[in-house]
Amino acid sequence: MAMTEERLDAAFAALADPTRRAIVSRLARGDATVGELAEPFDMSLPGISKHLKVLERSGLISRRRDAQFRPCHLEVDALDGALDWIGTNRRLWDERFDKLDALLADMRRPISPTGPPNRKERAHE
Amino acid sequence: MSEHDAVDAPDELRFSRVFDAPRELVFRCMIDPDHLTHFWGPAGVSAPRDRITVDARPGGVFETVMVNDADGSQYPTRAVYDEVREPELLAWTESSSGMQVTTEFVALGPDRTEVRIHQRFVPEALLAPEAQAGFLTALDRFDSYLRGLS
Repeated sequence: MAMTEERLDAAFAALADPTRRAIVSRLARGDATVGELAEPFDMSLPGISKHLKVLERSGLISRRRDAQFRPCHLEVDALDGALDWIGTNRRLWDERFDKLDALLADMRRPISPTGPPNRKERAHE
Repeated sequence: MSEHDAVDAPDELRFSRVFDAPRELVFRCMIDPDHLTHFWGPAGVSAPRDRITVDARPGGVFETVMVNDADGSQYPTRAVYDEVREPELLAWTESSSGMQVTTEFVALGPDRTEVRIHQRFVPEALLAPEAQAGFLTALDRFDSYLRGLS
């Protein structure tokens, strides 16, 4: 799914806050009301509502207008758009570093008595 | 005021890894094509030696082509170095996405080096080659993300 840049900016901005990330994690397990979301945070309902408004504007969550307690719902597609970039990027570096780790181990294993394994480095100087 | 929340966007991502090797050597790996070819491509992706260009000085280019081993798809990336301070810091900007990548090399001991990557990202990076390589499932991504939160 291609997200617009504005949408992605809004999603990242919303996820910049630890309380909002915790709310998103909670909603990943199922819909919840404002009261249920406020409970673990020792935060006032208006405080939580402020965070929910930011999340709602970012498109990461939606709230039903009809139900009395207006349960919050995680918009998985919107989250996925943001995760796509974060996860792919993290994985890229993780996998590169795994290979670099193996390479460094190889280079530092003494093979030849004629010189240190990294003698090639000198050639550049 | 709620407007404040809208502007506290993260403009960077950070990754770090500790390697059991001296800082000079780890730094050299990041600017020597003979070394880069062995690790620049992630799992299942190669970075052929003859397609890597490194001119490690401010204004110099850093070009790579990653090749997907499974289907041969090619992902060329061009960047320009902003700062090169051997053996402690490398910074470059990717030309197509504008993404800025800063790599710090911190000596934790004579044979121990922490590499810290800071990325100032832009949404266009979604279109970057690595994002299109498609080696992640949605589940993997969610798992990575949740691990990143903890």
